[in-house]
Amino acid sequence: MPDMSETEVFEKFAQIVAKSLRVDAGQVHMDTHLTDLGAESLDLIEITMETETQFHIFLPDKSILETAVEVFGPDVLEKDGYLTEAGKQLMLRRMPEADAQAFAGEVAIKDLQHYFLKVSTWVRMVQGLAHYTPAACAACGGPMVSSQGFRMKCSKCGQEITLRSGEELNREWVREYYDREYHPQAGTPVSAAAVQ
Amino acid sequence: MSAFGSIGCDPSVTRAITPVASPLDVWAESHGAVCCRLDGFPCDPGVLAETILSPGERAHWLSMRAVEKRRREWLLGRCAAKQAVSLLLEKRWNMRLSSQEIEIVPDGYGCPQVKLNGTGSPPPGRLPHVSIAHSDGTAVAMAACDPLGVDLESLSRRGEDFESIAFSADERALRAHLPAEWALRMWCAKEAVGKALGRGLSAGLLAFHITRADAETGAIQVETARQSFTVYTARESNFVFSAMIYQQGAVLMRPSRQEILDYLLHKLGELAQDWDYTDPIRPESLLFTELGYGSLEAVVLCTAIQEHYQTPMPFAELLAEIGQQQRDLSINELTDFVDTHLAGAAGADGGTRRIQ
Repeated sequence: MPDMSETEVFEKFAQIVAKSLRVDAGQVHMDTHLTDLGAESLDLIEITMETETQFHIFLPDKSILETAVEVFGPDVLEKDGYLTEAGKQLMLRRMPEADAQAFAGEVAIKDLQHYFLKVSTWVRMVQGLAHYTPAACAACGGPMVSSQGFRMKCSKCGQEITLRSGEELNREWVREYYDREYHPQAGTPVSAAAVQ
Repeated sequence: MSAFGSIGCDPSVTRAITPVASPLDVWAESHGAVCCRLDGFPCDPGVLAETILSPGERAHWLSMRAVEKRRREWLLGRCAAKQAVSLLLEKRWNMRLSSQEIEIVPDGYGCPQVKLNGTGSPPPGRLPHVSIAHSDGTAVAMAACDPLGVDLESLSRRGEDFESIAFSADERALRAHLPAEWALRMWCAKEAVGKALGRGLSAGLLAFHITRADAETGAIQVETARQSFTVYTARESNFVFSAMIYQQGAVLMRPSRQEILDYLLHKLGELAQDWDYTDPIRPESLLFTELGYGSLEAVVLCTAIQEHYQTPMPFAELLAEIGQQQRDLSINELTDFVDTHLAGAAGADGGTRRIQ
């Protein structure tokens, strides 16, 4: 679904949220936080599953920061519940729309939920992932339909493709960021700081 | 002093005022903890907020942009937490603090911390810990002298469709032999462990692996990479509850060399999928020349190993030594390195380790 506009994604996503949290769709706005609508952890799973089904995408099961911490190692991006300077740089790079002022001073990891659970963050994430979901078969141009798991199948020629997962795309982005911006001399010996 | 002070309240909604020997209360009592459950507001929420919240908490409550349901849940949760802490302080140290003197503030990761503003305090290092959960208009809080986690979910709201995301194939197979409500019990058990460890489920749902569930006692065994926890679960009316206290001496599982090798081969296989390496990986495989590892891949692998075993290891020195000697590293040698350092870590703290 490469052609969905932000508004189209938002309208569809707002319906999913409203149904799952049993709130009026009118209460869901781009700057609304899902927790402010009363979402708890299981609600988020329900919203994730419905979003994946309706948009034919595969959402990441961790936030970009959690994936980045796995790549960078402990205490590099976050320490004792707060973002480090390197962590702030990564978050600002990832979310250029975020207010730089919001990352001034101490930033608690818990406060980042405000970004990760914001409707606009989900809408942009869904829109980005939907870009990788083809509407038509690359081989014959036939319409693609859901197949088993995270696969899609051409209803005309039967060709199957595996969808790219959000986790995989996030990991790629983090690695690229690590190589190009954090640790640009790729191939140099691994520093103690990066490993421990 | 009751958390509700002198305000008139409806005792039918609070087990703390009219204790009921529910299974959860009995479990808390036998573990030195205090549990408070509220099935609704004991009085008008506005009056309750004025009565029990500290000035800082009140300002937060008034400025919350959330829908009314969320604001009420937050207030109900705070109310239960203050009552549980108040009762624990009175029971353990004969301290009587008003609700406003007991502040519940989130730490950097959102984990509730107790801050006492009244006169007197428990012995150093014995500040109470508290955990809060709410669902469908009910809040439960438990206070204890050790870190703990509590969770609840309403049976009326959930189907079984979340299981495909929340549980691994092994866990789903385990669940298949149990009544349907055990899906929620297993979910709550993972939540309780995440809360007790202070970081919630941020490590990913599959980082908490359920290996055993006992339908007779309600006990669920949850394992992380190095520790095994027994979580108590119970069903009361339309809810399932879980609770776990993270006491000193949680078992550190010392993996065997074979288990370490199996983990490394599995992890390398996982990473190889990301990096398009298709040949089989064997214990003799060489990391750099055969598997094509560079410095970034090595960092990712070393980080994953340290995270998995939650033990820092001197990988930088190992890699520097390999660089100096211009040699390669086999999976077997890496296994020995991890095995040696896990043995050292276990020996250093007498076989137990606390994450926090």
